[in-house]
Amino acid sequence: MKSLPTLAAAFILGFAGAAAQAGAASAADLTLAFKGLQKQTGAILFVLVNSEAAYDDKAPAVAQDMLAVSGSAVTTRFADLAPGRYAIKAFHDLDGDGKMATNPFGMPTEPFAFSNNAEGMMGPPKWEAAAFEVKAGANVHAIDID
Amino acid sequence: MDRRHFLRALGGATVTAVLTPEVAQAAAQMSQAGIDWQAAFADLEADVPRTAMKRLHGRAPEGLAGSLYRNGPGKFRRPGGSVEHWFDGDGLMRAFRVEGGAATMEARFIDTPKRRADAAADAVVTPGFGTPARPGARVRNNDDVNAANISVMPAGGELWALWEGGSPIALDPADLSTRGVKTLRPDLAHVPFLAHPRREPGGDTWSLGVNGKQALVWRLGPDGALKSAEMLDLPAASYVHDFSATATHLILVLQPWIQDRLVTPFNQSFSWRPELGTKVLVVEKADLSRRRIYELPPMFAFHYGAAWEERDGTIRFDGCFSPDPSFATENGKALMQGAWTRQEAAKLGLVALHPDGRATLDPTGLAAEFPRIDGRFAGHARRYTIHAAGASPNAPLYRGVATHDWKTGRSDAFDLGAHQLMEEAVFVARPDGSAELDGWLLAPSVNTRAKATELHVFDARRIAEGPLCTWRADRVLPVSLHGTFVKA
Repeated sequence: MKSLPTLAAAFILGFAGAAAQAGAASAADLTLAFKGLQKQTGAILFVLVNSEAAYDDKAPAVAQDMLAVSGSAVTTRFADLAPGRYAIKAFHDLDGDGKMATNPFGMPTEPFAFSNNAEGMMGPPKWEAAAFEVKAGANVHAIDID
Repeated sequence: MDRRHFLRALGGATVTAVLTPEVAQAAAQMSQAGIDWQAAFADLEADVPRTAMKRLHGRAPEGLAGSLYRNGPGKFRRPGGSVEHWFDGDGLMRAFRVEGGAATMEARFIDTPKRRADAAADAVVTPGFGTPARPGARVRNNDDVNAANISVMPAGGELWALWEGGSPIALDPADLSTRGVKTLRPDLAHVPFLAHPRREPGGDTWSLGVNGKQALVWRLGPDGALKSAEMLDLPAASYVHDFSATATHLILVLQPWIQDRLVTPFNQSFSWRPELGTKVLVVEKADLSRRRIYELPPMFAFHYGAAWEERDGTIRFDGCFSPDPSFATENGKALMQGAWTRQEAAKLGLVALHPDGRATLDPTGLAAEFPRIDGRFAGHARRYTIHAAGASPNAPLYRGVATHDWKTGRSDAFDLGAHQLMEEAVFVARPDGSAELDGWLLAPSVNTRAKATELHVFDARRIAEGPLCTWRADRVLPVSLHGTFVKA
């Protein structure tokens, strides 16, 4: 296995193409937790998407955010989401430079994760593996990162 | 009936030359009836504590003291799925320690993320060189699939278990316990580090991380600390397992087994493209932008010897050359099924890169693998190559060891017998000596008849006289790949 460049590319494109777009009036709340942080530096950068196109960076994201890391877990909350299927792509920006660090071959060197703790194989996991249901009312989704 | 008698009964080479593959296979299985070579590829289930070896004959030479560390795959099969290629077994570090005329053997698995993941799944789910990814595989970076199973180098008081597609993994030389993945600089995490670093006598160590048509050139100081890491563009996306070096140049052989996709198993990412020939890239250590490219006919090799430059600028290096990568694609897989397909053995040859831009390969015709040298001469003119010898057409690996004298063309060889699988021999210098090959060869073998691993010491200048001393362990370890000796 010599290369995982597409994985890093997914993040780079994902963040470049993200555009905040909160849902209109709706009844869904999402509490999102990132757990298992080994190094308490930098921030978690993530995008929240609600379609396969957005997941594949071909449409704007619902939201993107940066959560400063000060413990082994960080949480955030989204209110007023439209019920439906969502997915999250995240990485731990250990050095706080706002970019996913890669080695000279383009392989990620900072921890990353996807919703459902979905795992990719020489690239990011597919939308189907990372998508989860947000229903009307309160929702909680936890992701292990690091 | 042993193999030689069997072949003689059939009429020898004439008959074997016209055998169909099916008949050859059947003949091979029959002739192997008395040679349980599969014992050399059986799983080791648990670490082996340090245990005294029994001296079978001879005496250890005075002055031979230290540890021979050897790496190689040691566990292949799990209930829910097994590796499909010999090169994908879990890295197993062995230590043969010789002191005061006695020898001990121990072995410990390298605690890699891959081994942990596969053990937890009770199946080999992690993809490898010749094993596909299976459901449950977790591949976030190259070190998640790092089998750490090819070779070992000492570095800064540690042992580094080396693979070729991921980082070194640091071990404690005292008890072979795993310290963890070695990241030489944070921005170089997970960059491959070849299993065949080139160590300058008393100086720096060079290695490569190859990814398609690019390589990262690692340069480490004598203490194992990173001195530089520079990128190098390659003329072809070849499979690179080893490279060579003179005192002043790095030499990369770009053979026409070309990566044209990225799939699992990894060896399926390459196509054999003989029409492209072999390119040899020579770059200056002091300035990697200063480069020359030579052309050779298509060939495949895993291993090369150290190179040297002659007064007129000619660069020479040896290697063990095959007509194609069929061991990498086919026979390495067959071994895991307990089968061996007749295959032309790799042959020792000497490459010359001439000042006028021509390149030539002089074959010796000698079946050879695991080339080694007296490391004190690395990068400088030398006379000898040490290699495994005596390939059996009907069984894997080799049954003897030899040195080849490039000056006279003579071989000094010893055949341990058809029941032995000889492992790579490592040169150990005699403490008071300085002449080339003034010292010993230390090499284990798998004695398939005794079902035991043995350790042999040869006088490096008198191989044909047989081992000066042989010890036998109380068990057999899977056959190993590459080793290094660390003086006591």
